[in-house]
Amino acid sequence: MLRCYRHVKGFLKPLAETSRRRRTSAPCLSEDHIRRFISENTEVVVGRSLTPEIQLKLFTPNCRFWTERPELWPFTDPYWAIYWPGGQALSRYILDNPGVCRGRAVLDLGSGCGASSIAAKLCYAAHVVASDLDPVSAVVTRLNCELNNVEPPVCVTDDMIGSDPAGFDLILLGDMFYDEALANRLYRWLDRCIKTHCTKVLIGDPGRALFEGHDIRKLLHHVAQYELPESVREENYGLISSHVWCYQS
Amino acid sequence: MGADRGIHVEVSGKDYESLGPLQVSKIMAALAKKEEAQLIILGKQAIDDDCNQTGQMTAALLDWPQGTFASEVSLDGDNVKVVREIDGGLETIRINTPAVLTADLRLNTPRYATLPNIMKAKKKKIANVKPADLGVDLTSRLEVLRVDEPPQRQAGMKVETVEDLVAKLKDAGKV
Repeated sequence: MLRCYRHVKGFLKPLAETSRRRRTSAPCLSEDHIRRFISENTEVVVGRSLTPEIQLKLFTPNCRFWTERPELWPFTDPYWAIYWPGGQALSRYILDNPGVCRGRAVLDLGSGCGASSIAAKLCYAAHVVASDLDPVSAVVTRLNCELNNVEPPVCVTDDMIGSDPAGFDLILLGDMFYDEALANRLYRWLDRCIKTHCTKVLIGDPGRALFEGHDIRKLLHHVAQYELPESVREENYGLISSHVWCYQS
Repeated sequence: MGADRGIHVEVSGKDYESLGPLQVSKIMAALAKKEEAQLIILGKQAIDDDCNQTGQMTAALLDWPQGTFASEVSLDGDNVKVVREIDGGLETIRINTPAVLTADLRLNTPRYATLPNIMKAKKKKIANVKPADLGVDLTSRLEVLRVDEPPQRQAGMKVETVEDLVAKLKDAGKV
């Protein structure tokens, strides 16, 4: 099945080599092209996170784009290429508490590499939707599911914030409180979700300054804390531990 | 490198041209009070003016202790232990916080920013502030009279043999 991705900045080298003409118009890229590009520019990482049982295709210091000029990256900022500490804590919590997801309809908001969706699938969630604005994240999530022998979740690229979340028992947010405007939108929307649908919300966060100082923090209760492995601390200077919070009415 | 946020103090035009350690120290001191800082870390000596003054002036303006030319820093409750690189060797002092430290070359090996931190940094806030907002007067108390470049190095001469070299040296009155 051919999927077209028009969210491309700059140009994609293999595509440019096959057709100079296409550089001037928005290229239409197949899922296969993107899968190959991702595989060429990431490494399969096993271990070195809070969830060594989940394998993920990520950027590592061995990959070109760890040190390459960011403007040469042909897609939107690759948030999916890093296993963020907030997401790590959330996935760890899910795996350690399988009852949280079992039989439930789960929304993984800002799914990135898809780790939390994979964790939910591994715990027999009834239905998982992985939502991320970046269409490349959907491709990566499917690749990572294959690596971990789980059925891929439904991947959506629409902005779910503001929509009616009827039908979800649980919303997962791994490391989503790093931008003030986004944090405020999330706060308002989650508040509505909880009040209208009694949705449970689990948030993973490594203690980012914005999150710690945000109003939402006062409404959360702490459910887990994990010390970050040395390799994660080295890649994320200033972070030592990561926490899981529950937002519930 | 892991900081939560930044503050950019905008200085431009004539103020920028005449900006020196005294003015920077005043800005640092004002910010330290406003942000209730516990530690100010500065370089020990800039390569443009070679002044080695900003850290010391900042400490004086705030009436804070200073640990300058630090090659080792360790925090111990309300104190800071600083090993200083001085002409005679190494001097270890213990000072209270809040304090000003200036960094010596041997303090650490600089790291590169990691990709995850670069990506998060794009979303961190940098507040823009003017010196006037901090109540700082940037008027310079110095008048630069002259700046001279070092003398141009004269081109050398190539000689073919040792005899030529000796002859040229004799001509120049060197031997």
